[in-house]
Amino acid sequence: MTEGLSRIRIAPLLYAACLACALLLAPGAAFADTPAEGAPHAPPTLAADLDDYDTSNEDMVPDPLEGWNRMWFAVNDVLLLKVIKPVHQGYVAVTPDELRSGVRNFFHNLGFPLRFLNCLLQGKPSEAGVEMGRFIINSTVGMAGFIDVAKKDKPIVEPDKEDFGQTLGVWGAGEGFYIVWPLIGPSTLRDSVGLAGDYLAEPFGYMVDDQTVYLGARAYGEFNKADEAIAGYEAVTKSAVEPYTSVRNAYIQLRRSKVAK
Amino acid sequence: MSVHNILRGAFLAALLAITLSCWTGAAVAAAAGSTDNAGAARETLKASVDRIMDIIKRPEFTDAAQRPALMDKVESEIRRIFDFREFSARTVGANWRSFTPDQQDRFAEAFASLLRATYLEKFDGYTGQQVLFTGELVSGKGDKVEVQTTVVVKDKQVPVAYRMLQKQDWVVYDVIVEGVSLVKNYRTQFQDLLEKGTADQLIDRVKAKAEEVRKQPAQPAQSGQSGQSAPVGK
Repeated sequence: MTEGLSRIRIAPLLYAACLACALLLAPGAAFADTPAEGAPHAPPTLAADLDDYDTSNEDMVPDPLEGWNRMWFAVNDVLLLKVIKPVHQGYVAVTPDELRSGVRNFFHNLGFPLRFLNCLLQGKPSEAGVEMGRFIINSTVGMAGFIDVAKKDKPIVEPDKEDFGQTLGVWGAGEGFYIVWPLIGPSTLRDSVGLAGDYLAEPFGYMVDDQTVYLGARAYGEFNKADEAIAGYEAVTKSAVEPYTSVRNAYIQLRRSKVAK
Repeated sequence: MSVHNILRGAFLAALLAITLSCWTGAAVAAAAGSTDNAGAARETLKASVDRIMDIIKRPEFTDAAQRPALMDKVESEIRRIFDFREFSARTVGANWRSFTPDQQDRFAEAFASLLRATYLEKFDGYTGQQVLFTGELVSGKGDKVEVQTTVVVKDKQVPVAYRMLQKQDWVVYDVIVEGVSLVKNYRTQFQDLLEKGTADQLIDRVKAKAEEVRKQPAQPAQSGQSGQSAPVGK
């Protein structure tokens, strides 16, 4: 109940701000470029230093909860590979591809305000414009986001997903320490605060009064695309000699590269 | 204003002009040098990727009987472009010098075997991946180049960068997939293990992992979303 209330209090403010920015930005929004073959003779960019890790030791985040984290890492490993994976394979077997991608697109489209807001908070107007364009096209022509029509339009392919954890990073917040959550998986103190922000800013939460229905729908949305999470997890762990350390490092590197972008 | 002052002004101006032109000249030369290196690294990598793609695109590749021979060809291409010793030294880090030459050899071999088992042996065929070369970064000294590519798999785009340095030819010493460096990732794992054990134990762990990966059944095609067109990438 209280969660619902706090959502409602924050909601109008956030989305009024979003909408105002959207109206200001929409006409001039430049669409981000898709990667293209570099011009053959374009001068290369000079990097400050590519040698940074020739000698320096890996700058890892502290892991004061390592015992706790390793326990949840082991639990999550079993949940993901021994429970969710086989159930998801069954789900894939009985549902058409179109339905699964439709559900994925639908939930992705619902998350637009959140990503849009974070694009703006990180000072990325062109990325915000791409999100805006995709949202408008997919919500209308794409039947409330069920069909990702915008994907077929080269200049407005899906940009990187922005979230509050990244925004906090862009603003200079340190990671704090590493933490593994049940089911959610690897995170840091900063990204956990970000997750709470994401949860509060999610528009879907205001559209559904009943928290059980909300959480159930969210869980289904996540389950529907569990194959992505499983593939990512397996890509990191299958070649790992020490999987816990490998996942921790991959998570930190990935988040840092997203914040730096 | 006296003639003396005018002359002195002219002299200073000339001096300034010469200095400036020297600087710009040097800067232009430096930029040209790094362009050459970036171009050389990119072309070396591109040629290697092209050769590998040519092999995996052959129709025989889908034939289980003919595949092992083609896999060997791919592996020799990878060994040509990818410097496993350099890669091993960087993943082990400061501890590398405490390894005996024999341990260094065995480690590099075990590591190559692990990467072969993980990426090459599980690769079951070309499914339309494309590699786009999107740009280069050059180190301040100009001796290292990061060649940036985007691997397009169906409607997914995965940024993959190759860090290269010049030996006899340009070679790859790290692969960075979506911002995650393979060297950095293995380095944290190996540091952990070397704190708890010896070099020989680490080599055994890497060997055991390669065997474990070999015993696992191949993944269904759908989960192999990345890594396939990056020769040894994740």
